[in-house]
Amino acid sequence: MSDKAILFDSSRCIACRGCQVACKQWNETDGVIPAKQYGVQAVNRGSYENPPDLSPTTWLTIKFFEKSEDNSIEWLFGRRSCMHCTDAACVEVCPSGALFHNEYGFVGYDKDKCIGCGYCSQHCPFDVPRLDTNIITGVGKMDKCTLCTTPSLDRLSTGELPACVKTCPTDALIYGEREELLARAQELVDGLRAGHSKAYPNATLYGENELGGLHVLYVLTDSPEAYGLPKDPQFPIAATITKDILGPIARVLWPVVAAGLALNVLVAWFRQRKHGEVH
Amino acid sequence: MELVERYTKRARWFHWLIAVLFLELVISGLLIFVPWINSDTIGTVTRVLHRIGAAILIAAPVLYTLYDWRKTWGFIKEGLTWGKEDLGWLEAAPGYYFGGDPRLMPPQGHSNTGMKLYRVSIFAGSAIFVITGFIMWFLKGVVPSAVFQWCLLLHDVTFIVALCMFLLHFQLAVFHPRMDESILSMYDGKVSGVYAKSHHGKWYDKIAKSNDEENSPEKS
Repeated sequence: MSDKAILFDSSRCIACRGCQVACKQWNETDGVIPAKQYGVQAVNRGSYENPPDLSPTTWLTIKFFEKSEDNSIEWLFGRRSCMHCTDAACVEVCPSGALFHNEYGFVGYDKDKCIGCGYCSQHCPFDVPRLDTNIITGVGKMDKCTLCTTPSLDRLSTGELPACVKTCPTDALIYGEREELLARAQELVDGLRAGHSKAYPNATLYGENELGGLHVLYVLTDSPEAYGLPKDPQFPIAATITKDILGPIARVLWPVVAAGLALNVLVAWFRQRKHGEVH
Repeated sequence: MELVERYTKRARWFHWLIAVLFLELVISGLLIFVPWINSDTIGTVTRVLHRIGAAILIAAPVLYTLYDWRKTWGFIKEGLTWGKEDLGWLEAAPGYYFGGDPRLMPPQGHSNTGMKLYRVSIFAGSAIFVITGFIMWFLKGVVPSAVFQWCLLLHDVTFIVALCMFLLHFQLAVFHPRMDESILSMYDGKVSGVYAKSHHGKWYDKIAKSNDEENSPEKS
């Protein structure tokens, strides 16, 4: 199957956050109402953004970036969730096979296999996976967006749209073939740069080549940094060294050392016997 | 037959406690690299066991030091005290351990140069294991993720070396024909006088001398 993707068009997003709600509703990741009786006090952080960050029960948030220019304020709306990278560091470092690439090209997640090590959270260039592990025992699980492919909550296999896409009222989120969406995204960016009522000279297409190609494509009205996205996200070099260098070294070195030591015992034994040595 | 005490009962118990904990950490740590065994339950259990093992392995020497800091200090000092017989050991070691003429090896103290090197590398390796392990255990998400990544890498590199060192230690103690009383000395604490004289001549002379002094008419 050819790769699928979702396209987020920031110029169409009105930050209604219907996607956040649909995500929680479909994936049964209920949040807590920030009120005293629930043990959480709402805090005014000077922004409409809410909740402030991803969490084990919040796999998607819409980010609000305020940009002031010549006494006017512009809101940039970003989307924060798993990017479903092609070169996914989380898949590479996951020791239990809980994270994997599925038939759509997305980073699927089998929560039953997760052992809670958190390597994914510490290697993700976008800081997406969230853990609910106990700090002392380390017992717990990771959670992140599965693009509605969670077993038993799988929308894609039955031909449904991902919950966030389905609910988006302005078509700021579209689901489809990655190749087709890329062409469409390029057209949208070109249109934004040329501008009709207003031109966006810094409009960017994000996700085409980043980390081998993301499966969440972004049409941005400004630079990636303005949307809180890393300009040039990198696959962590330490993970590459561990997998491609240390692993092979260990697999060769240990048997070689063991064989060398065995040989040493044999040589020493024969030579000492020849000398007729007691010790 | 003359027998000489090499290791006290307490030292032997401590050695085997450390050995068991080390192997427990080796196994519980290695299993994380075996994806098909890392199903939810086993993977979680091995991670918990790794932490319990680590906590005891750190606590044991700390408690031992609190109980008898002189002994610990002596243990550290012995590993760091080097003399000219150590240079001689380095020169003679290849021939000696491959069954050459043992008379070419200069007389060694209670610990020979190889044992001291092993001890020093354990100090260094333990420090790396403890620091990187502490960061990964308690500071995940607090320190920048790059710090975590390099701690993980360093933990792995140190383990690759540590397992080689352990294989060497095991081979010398159990299989090497020249060290034929080594494992017994960690079992009942004693070696024969002949073995002590041929393997740790400097140490043997010292205890022989102090025994003589104790038994001399002036002292008794």
